Amino acid sequence: MIRSASRRVAGALVLVAGLAIGAAQLAAQSQAQPAPPESPLSALAPANISKSRPAAPFNLTGNWFIDNSPGIQGWLFGPATIPKLKPEAQEHRDAYLQAIKEGKVYRDDIGQCWPAGVPIIMTRVWPIAMIQLPTAIYMISEFMNSMRVVYLDGRSHTDPDIVVRTFNGESVGRWEGDTLVVETKNFTNDPHHWVDQGVPASDELRIIERIRMINNGQTLEIAMTLTDSKNWEGEWKGVRRWNRVNDHDIGEVECLPDLNEHLQSTSSKVHVR
Amino acid sequence: MKSVLFGAVAVALACAVPVLAHHSPAAFDRSKEVKLVGTVKDFRWQNPHTWIEVLVPDEKGKEVLWGVELTSPTYLIRAGWKSNTIKPGDKVTVVVNPVRSGEPAGIFRSLTLADGRVLTERPARLGTPDSK
Repeated sequence: MIRSASRRVAGALVLVAGLAIGAAQLAAQSQAQPAPPESPLSALAPANISKSRPAAPFNLTGNWFIDNSPGIQGWLFGPATIPKLKPEAQEHRDAYLQAIKEGKVYRDDIGQCWPAGVPIIMTRVWPIAMIQLPTAIYMISEFMNSMRVVYLDGRSHTDPDIVVRTFNGESVGRWEGDTLVVETKNFTNDPHHWVDQGVPASDELRIIERIRMINNGQTLEIAMTLTDSKNWEGEWKGVRRWNRVNDHDIGEVECLPDLNEHLQSTSSKVHVR
Repeated sequence: MKSVLFGAVAVALACAVPVLAHHSPAAFDRSKEVKLVGTVKDFRWQNPHTWIEVLVPDEKGKEVLWGVELTSPTYLIRAGWKSNTIKPGDKVTVVVNPVRSGEPAGIFRSLTLADGRVLTERPARLGTPDSK
């Protein structure tokens, strides 16, 4: 009896010792691996969508097409408004102007199937479908079906140390009276990302859009302010208007690998790569 | 049949309304028009560009393959086009603004079919009163 009891006690001691060692190992591991960041609710999570919020001043759900009645210089980021460029950006701009002078095309990366990115998809003659939820606005440009999301659920921009930088950047919006104010940053530093007309974009690009719905809900007015300390001084401003389109749904648009084989202009000698 | 080149036809730049495209329009000389009289080799109805390949005899009778770039079917449908408007073998006359380099390629201006019908990329444009 006594011998049997001793064996049970010894076994229990071994078990306790094993558990203690295991717990110590787990504690050591948890110290070595930082805890993952807390994941906020997705913009499409029902629990997020159903949260109590003030009603949005307007709903821009619909299909929109840029008002190009002012002509090309009215909707491109035109020369009249280009700020003082930094030297490297000025070199690109000069090369762009020289190419025009020679009847050539400078760095038409979009034509080579690189993403247009923001702000170009917000300034071109391709429709954009917008779907507004309480938590976010989903924008899908028909131009290569590029997707842009403007988060409205109160989140901040992603930590720069973990954000994945993109051509469309990361957009966070808030309501100020009858205006939706959208701040977009965390852009890629890819050399194929352009603002417009020979002016490059960098990872320092930051865009503020002040969006109003006017003309009885038939027009969006988007006042844009761009800053990019790597490429120009101060602010670059422009206003675009988008008209509601009720008889068109956007379609699938792809820059397929063989597309340019049949569009000789994209491989023409007029291009300056 | 042969191609006819109209040098420096006064095409007002104001007429060069931007259309749906995935590349810069600067490659094309909007001040010139080239009239291509030839035979359709291929016609592709697709986004972001519809395109036509036309075989056009040059001055010596040698056939030259011209590439013609059109806008998206989004616009073309509104201008009366269908995916079967033309097919390989059709005799057509196509007017283009050529690329500045002189290569056999251009951006579309108009198409005249064998029965005399003329098609363009106009008139209806998105977001305008004639487009609801």
